[in-house]
Amino acid sequence: MAILTTSGAPASRFEEVAHAASQLLGFELVTESRLSQWMMEEFGETPVPDRAWRPAAVSILARLAVEHHLVICLWGAESLFPPSPFTLRAGIVASDARRIGNVMLDQRLDQRLDQRMQRSEAKAALARMDREAKHLHKVRLGRTRPQPDSFDVLLNIEHMDASQMAAVLEAAAAARQLREQGLLAADAEARIQFETRLKLARYGIVPAGHARLKRAAFNHPSEEVFANLLDFYRIPWEYEPRSFPLQWDKDGRVTEAFTPDFYLPEFDLYVELTTMKQTLVTRKNRKIKLLRAVYPHINIQVFYQKDFQDLVFKHGLKEAVR
Amino acid sequence: MTAPPGIERVLFTEEQVNQRIQEVAAEISAKYQGRDLKLIAVLKGAVFFMTALARAIEIPLKIDFLAISSFGGGGPGMVRIAKDLDHPIQDEDILLVEDIVDTGFTTRYLLQTLAGREPRSLGICTLLDRTARRIVQVPVDYRCFEIPDRFVVGCGLDHKQRYRNLGYIAVMNPDAGD
Repeated sequence: MAILTTSGAPASRFEEVAHAASQLLGFELVTESRLSQWMMEEFGETPVPDRAWRPAAVSILARLAVEHHLVICLWGAESLFPPSPFTLRAGIVASDARRIGNVMLDQRLDQRLDQRMQRSEAKAALARMDREAKHLHKVRLGRTRPQPDSFDVLLNIEHMDASQMAAVLEAAAAARQLREQGLLAADAEARIQFETRLKLARYGIVPAGHARLKRAAFNHPSEEVFANLLDFYRIPWEYEPRSFPLQWDKDGRVTEAFTPDFYLPEFDLYVELTTMKQTLVTRKNRKIKLLRAVYPHINIQVFYQKDFQDLVFKHGLKEAVR
Repeated sequence: MTAPPGIERVLFTEEQVNQRIQEVAAEISAKYQGRDLKLIAVLKGAVFFMTALARAIEIPLKIDFLAISSFGGGGPGMVRIAKDLDHPIQDEDILLVEDIVDTGFTTRYLLQTLAGREPRSLGICTLLDRTARRIVQVPVDYRCFEIPDRFVVGCGLDHKQRYRNLGYIAVMNPDAGD
């Protein structure tokens, strides 16, 4: 297996670097939200205790690594697997001034000029984020912050953007012949699973083997184009990650559910594409209305056929997506 | 100039566009009085709006341009700066000038890119704002017009690189515009 881990301090934008690197390398991107979803599939709704988080994560990731090369984008990702010829551990560093600027920018994306976060507020918010990150490191990995020697490559965002840093990591992966190491062998995975099961047994946890990487098999060409558009703008996405029950029968069985096409974790936003017949759009609109009524806290944006056509016209895309 | 094929109706006449630009320019002039304003336009669509806006603003200002790569539909590929600014923007009051804010994807990328260069302030001024299609929320400080969810051309907006030079903004049926 080839594993590139990418991590950094809060607001250092290490997630963007990981996303760009996964695209360049063609590796599967593992994010905190995807891993949480797999943890739920694997161990059920009851949260995995923090102290068991590491073996639980390794168990799932080792299973994925049998079939995929991975870019793991998590706080503490560098300490999940020991240093080896098949791992490249990248740390993204940023000055406090830059990170404060990033916090201000993230805040301001939905704020007007006169309502925006001041630098002092951003500084306080970043301090809170740092405390949370330290706490998470401590309870999950037993230490408050990673050591410099935990990384093979350290990159400073001061004078490089995400795509430049991704290119550096691509070159580093090539120099290390990461891909040439091949996928994780079945016997190696079995050994890792044995070790992690022993650790998890201390907490009464037994991996169920349910969590699998679902390849995004798009139902419509337009969905693939939309996914490419999100990739182009470096916006992390997940395809059909969750179904929402909408109606139940008298025995509590789900009789109607709705699965939005995309989830954008950065914005906590679901996106539904409608590129079909108007009659079906009407049915879908009804479902979306119901979704908003049953789950008022869920943010969902509908991207209609007309919107998509304009995208096609604007960019001169292939007729096949229309 | 005769109306090009595919034009369904004029959404804003040349007079309306010019009037509104004057109004927005007056707001900007008042807001940035005594400050070090620089307008940054994104090539190519915003050039026409930028020129009209800059001429209507009544305080000294600087201008600069940048261009970003276009989405080609098929992956992989990532947005990148195709033409960078000519000068640094550190400690300057920056107003990003856009022809249209749509999904918010492009604007978000530009905001992130420019914010990393530590300007004193960073605002957005757009000729058109199509909020109905917004996916990523971005803070638009000045907008001339909010438009319906239709395909529009003119005042810098194109269909296959044509019709940018129309002085008015029109709804177009792009199917009929080939």
